[in-house]
Amino acid sequence: MSDRSLHDSNAGPWKSLDTLAGNGDGSGEFTEGTTTTALTDTSVSRRGFMTLVSASMALTAAACRRPEQKLVPTVKSIQTATPGLPLEYATTYTQRNVAYGAVVRSREGRPVHVKGNAIHPSNCGTASAEMQATLLSLYDPDRIRRARLGKGQASYDSAVGKLSDAIAAAQADGKQTLVFVDDHASPSLSALFADITTSLPSARFITLPAIVNDAPAIANTAALGIDGEIVPDLGKARVIVCVDADPLGSDPLATHHTGRWAAWRTPTSDKPTMNTMIVAEAQYSLTGANADRRVRLHPSQLEAFLAGIEKALGMSSVGADLLAGADAPTIAAAEQAATTLKGAGSEAVVLAGRHLSPRAHGIALAINSALGSVGAGKIVDPVNVLPNSGVKSKAIDDAVNAMTSGSVGVVVFANVNPEYSADRRFKAALAKVPFRAAINLYEDETATVCNVSIPAAHWLESWGDAVAFDGTLSVRQPLIAPLNEGIPSLEDTLINVTKRLVPTFLGETATYHDYVKARWVSTLGNGAEGAWIKALQDGVVIPTTPRVSAASVNTAALASLPASNIGKGQVLLTVPSLALYDGAYANNGWLMELPDPVTKITWDNVALISPATAVKLGLAATTDAKDLLKANEKVVTITTEHGGCDLPVWVQVGMADDVIVTQLGYGHTAMGGVARGAGVNVYPIATPGSAVSYTSAKSVQTVAGARYRIATTQNHHTLDDGHGERPVAKWLTLGDIKAKNFDSLNPHFYDAGDEGRFKRPLSIVNSYEYRGHRWGMVIDMSQCTGCSSCVVACQSENNISVVGKDQVLRGREMQWIRLDRYYTGDMENPASVTEPMLCQHCENAPCENVCPVAATTHSPEGLNEMTYNRCVGTRYCLNNCPYKVRRFNFLNYNTDTRSPLDLAFNPDVTVRMRGIMEKCTFCVQRLHEAKWHARDAGRARVLDGEARTACQEACPAGAIIFGDTNDKNSRVSKARNSERGFRVLAELNVRPQVTYLARVSSHDQVTETAGHGH
Amino acid sequence: MSVINQNKSVYLAEGQELVREPLVLGQPTMRDITARIASIVESKISPKYLLTLAFTLTMAAWGLFALYYTVTTGIGVWGLNNPIGWGWDITNFVFWIGIGHAGTLISAILFLFRQKWRTAINRSAEAMTIFAVICALTMVLTHTGRPWLFYWLLPNPNQMQMWINFRSPLAWDVFAVNTYFAVSALFWFVGLIPDLATLRNYVKSDIAKKIYGVLSLGWTGSTRHWHHYEIAYMILAGISTPLVLSVHSVVSFDFTVGILPGWHTTIFPPYFVAGAIFSGFGMVMTLLVIAREILDLKQFITLKHLDNMNKILLATGMMVGYAYGMELFIAWYSGSDWELWVFINRVMGDYAWAYWTMVLCNVISPQVYWFRKNRRNVPLMFIISIFVNIGMWFERFTIIATTLHHDFLPASWGYYSPTWVEVSIFIGTFGIFLSLFLLFAKFVPVIAIAEIKSIMPGAQPAHHHHEHESAKAGVTAH
Repeated sequence: MSDRSLHDSNAGPWKSLDTLAGNGDGSGEFTEGTTTTALTDTSVSRRGFMTLVSASMALTAAACRRPEQKLVPTVKSIQTATPGLPLEYATTYTQRNVAYGAVVRSREGRPVHVKGNAIHPSNCGTASAEMQATLLSLYDPDRIRRARLGKGQASYDSAVGKLSDAIAAAQADGKQTLVFVDDHASPSLSALFADITTSLPSARFITLPAIVNDAPAIANTAALGIDGEIVPDLGKARVIVCVDADPLGSDPLATHHTGRWAAWRTPTSDKPTMNTMIVAEAQYSLTGANADRRVRLHPSQLEAFLAGIEKALGMSSVGADLLAGADAPTIAAAEQAATTLKGAGSEAVVLAGRHLSPRAHGIALAINSALGSVGAGKIVDPVNVLPNSGVKSKAIDDAVNAMTSGSVGVVVFANVNPEYSADRRFKAALAKVPFRAAINLYEDETATVCNVSIPAAHWLESWGDAVAFDGTLSVRQPLIAPLNEGIPSLEDTLINVTKRLVPTFLGETATYHDYVKARWVSTLGNGAEGAWIKALQDGVVIPTTPRVSAASVNTAALASLPASNIGKGQVLLTVPSLALYDGAYANNGWLMELPDPVTKITWDNVALISPATAVKLGLAATTDAKDLLKANEKVVTITTEHGGCDLPVWVQVGMADDVIVTQLGYGHTAMGGVARGAGVNVYPIATPGSAVSYTSAKSVQTVAGARYRIATTQNHHTLDDGHGERPVAKWLTLGDIKAKNFDSLNPHFYDAGDEGRFKRPLSIVNSYEYRGHRWGMVIDMSQCTGCSSCVVACQSENNISVVGKDQVLRGREMQWIRLDRYYTGDMENPASVTEPMLCQHCENAPCENVCPVAATTHSPEGLNEMTYNRCVGTRYCLNNCPYKVRRFNFLNYNTDTRSPLDLAFNPDVTVRMRGIMEKCTFCVQRLHEAKWHARDAGRARVLDGEARTACQEACPAGAIIFGDTNDKNSRVSKARNSERGFRVLAELNVRPQVTYLARVSSHDQVTETAGHGH
Repeated sequence: MSVINQNKSVYLAEGQELVREPLVLGQPTMRDITARIASIVESKISPKYLLTLAFTLTMAAWGLFALYYTVTTGIGVWGLNNPIGWGWDITNFVFWIGIGHAGTLISAILFLFRQKWRTAINRSAEAMTIFAVICALTMVLTHTGRPWLFYWLLPNPNQMQMWINFRSPLAWDVFAVNTYFAVSALFWFVGLIPDLATLRNYVKSDIAKKIYGVLSLGWTGSTRHWHHYEIAYMILAGISTPLVLSVHSVVSFDFTVGILPGWHTTIFPPYFVAGAIFSGFGMVMTLLVIAREILDLKQFITLKHLDNMNKILLATGMMVGYAYGMELFIAWYSGSDWELWVFINRVMGDYAWAYWTMVLCNVISPQVYWFRKNRRNVPLMFIISIFVNIGMWFERFTIIATTLHHDFLPASWGYYSPTWVEVSIFIGTFGIFLSLFLLFAKFVPVIAIAEIKSIMPGAQPAHHHHEHESAKAGVTAH
């Protein structure tokens, strides 16, 4: 029986079922303000069928807790909630003070996947790993469920009452209340803070991020009069010189920068242009890994390097005094960089890193100014200021002094965790405050030292808004009512507390939703109600009036800024973790198990040292790979003047000597089961006040006999361990492109024909003819930075298990996309290439013919399909896969899924039990969805771009192109024919359906020593 | 001895041919033979036997517990990981299947080639075959992720109309091993019928009489029975013969059909068959040397037998040695970087120790058998047989682990070492094997009584020149 006939014959009764399901009559879950305007037709048969199927679900749903908060209009396409069909809502994620537009996919009222909002200019539809992974934190069973007073549980009201009483008492005592908040990008939140301060003069709001970095704001204040960080536009830069800067790595803006940078990485022989990135750094950052040329410098040389460039450009010097400590190689490298910069003129930019001093940032600004890249419409446009990125340390210092002096009666921590991340002085001052309250997601280190703990709401549960650096406004609307029933968001709690003290505050029934809406309505002006609904639907409002900044660089003011005083000798560098950043989401399994793109380490932070440093510290006998591998996992005690801690050692090639790099965000003692005990907290040994400064290491002692197991997802090729060169991750130089020299991309057939060229191997059977769709993928390694967004996107979309450190140690990580990292060239300072490796959906798949039960077969659309139900788990397919992209469920990784973590599962994808194989499916559930929609629209085929894989959607660089290769006009078909295209292991004749485009380096020198990856 | 000496003198006197060394020592009468072998069944169970059996049963129980743990918890309790999907499980499977091969070779091929010396050892070698295949089946059934669905590997009609994948070597494996098991068991049982009847007549206890009676299928020893028996035995020998070659060839397809360098080689089928025979003879040797001592069968299992088996060990050992060498040569000769690299890694990489253990045990150690003295040195041959067992186990381990741990993409490489569970399961299979063998040695004639009688001097029609000798022997025999 067809859907249509079902639908037609039962049209009457169905209407009432629709009503029961809460669709369309406004009496359902989203009562207030629900938009009822139907944007698309609703008479589609399949949808009707789905409604019938879900009738029983609707009946049960009436008894379940559903999102009940306010209004949640949808973003596009479908306007009414139909059980069984996903709905997508626009909202906003703010990664610290960077606003990213988000579109969240919701099923039956629960968010299941976060992706980017295509119309938000910060991320253009892509998403960072963190942004997507926070979905898991929404359902984190370790989140605080109930308020706490002292040691006992309390109701939310009594906790709020207790807090407001304490504030009232302090106020009566003439004492201050300090509210510490994290970095944010919300204009409404700033306004709320101001309003609360107005009503409650004893309250002060202080931004206390875990990672404070004032240097750019200090330099900008001095030179431009702008108290904030300016966001450069890498999309306009032909030459980028990063001195310690990591715009593609740990920077919260990395998702934005990656997209802009990657647009310039695809030269063709017709148009051989691309950008050049030179990175001078002490660590081996992700940006360094993607550099066209890396300069390995000790931290003491970094600022001298900047000064060297300045000098070589013949400018009036901001950093002349810094040249005194410069080594000859530093100057030589600086001169070389200066030449490259000069060649690009105003299309060149120098970026100073967050670990550098205000002076270094000043020098960079002066150079950019001299190059002509500062100004309206230029790379560094002073109008593009990151919100709330001004100098913070002064306010924090004042707060610490106030606390120390005893003039503070109450402190409130609003989603910040200074007990974990702040320095000793802060903690000592905090001890003098009689009443401490925390409004946090987790019972973290700070919450445990507080008298009152109130749960906060997750960003997917709360209202808000954000402004991007370019002035784009976006709304954050909740996707679900707070999972902790009766617990409102942080902002609402602040309002509630204030209202207890000042009953007139914001009127009678004000909530933060009303507050945000009122502000937006007043901003949007005429016809505001409609515009507000539109803003909620789109999620983004792009200002129509162009903003212009007339600021000009005053170089003279820069020379007096403080410079770094780091000397030679062992230096400790604490960097934000690429997965966890500052550690706020450390209890997130997806992030915890996300391999560091460079080291491939999961679940831990380590002390990274260069091979020569390993020898110097007595950890390895020689710099021979065999000896160096033995140094790994040894434990050292690192002592700085601020403290000491024990860290396992990991030898990282390409780092500067006498530098120890370690990551922040690990080593929690509270929070939850995932975060606790993973890694070491290195905040206490970092520079007080600014965790990301260079710190001299007083001593580095080996802990005799101690070894600490480190779980990596790539055990080989962390060093040049003598495995020879393998033509798997291929490289080209811009010179090759210009000369059309693509020979190295040809497969290495051992029985090549007479003319030495590959002939397609003969087959005794005819190839299958794919008549309908034929899915294929192209991955551009020249654009891929290794940011790992795709890994998390895939994990979220496909219900991939987090297996834990023990299982990763055993080599059983489940992520379907593996980012293979290969080094090439001189192992002192190697270049690296990331090769995302996923199921290649081979036409001639070696896994398929060996499965005795035919559990893995080929679809008529060219997919290598895995039938979970049929799999008995012989693992033969895994053995026979030359790419080793199949993942076996060695144990039941999902039995321990604690409620409500199971709600994060995508209902379209089977949750796999133990004993079966799984692997990338090219998001087959999305392909089906696209085909249904095409059929609904009366089309036989899915149009190009309608079916998108999760990894493709997330990729900030746009390096993944997916589509129908039978459609000769599709993007993927065109990309497959790229001159840079090659198939990995093509010589095996397995005929993979993923085409890789060779990495291109604009600099010949980097690849001089190697045509291929190792 | 006198008969033989007389023979010898006659032959030597005529200067034409040398007499064969006797296959049964001490000139027992036919009745002696029956009594000697059947008495093992009838004799009281000694505490020593019980202790040994208790020990092997404990091993088996421990292994079964480990298997239970695996099946209830998941393959994750083993040391396997992402690049290495097979480890000790398949190593053990191939090891045990290989062990079985000596039995079939001795019972079928040597039978067809009229190698009389096989009669003393064929019964126990065949028993060993069956027990080894049982161990192999234990491994193969439980190594999958969801062993309760083992029947999906069989072509069973079902409502899904879902058949097995006939392109998969694992499916061939299922047929090969099951056929092998069925035919070997049948062959063994058919061979046992006359002896079971002998036991039926020999044993005193009523229960035992009944059991042996049922098992002997009404054997009376009539000429008609013998006639049918001989035909059946010959046919089964004929069926078994290709199995000797096919089973391990099919097992080797598990690897050769793969595309991994180190597996994808055409040398595997003959190499595996030679290896299987080698390992089987190694195991037969180990067990016979023990059984010969404990059950005091020196009379039947003579140094001559052991010498012959050692010759086969030497020959097959050299065949596998040749295969090892040829693998290396072809890896170089192929010009394939992948292939060459895998073999360099096998010889010099992480698992080089396993490779060299294999070479030492399989190629170097049998070289002592070039000397007759060594071939007849019982303690030495026991040690060498143990070496062969170890070496052949490592051969399979080397093939599986070194190939899988480093294949094409360095980023996916790993390392594998077993957990206690895998070790326990392996010990457990030895427990099962030895327990079954002990039970066999006690309750079934360890030496084919009827067959051994047939090779007694005079049991066969003699050359007319020596009529008087045969007549004489004939008299003593009846």
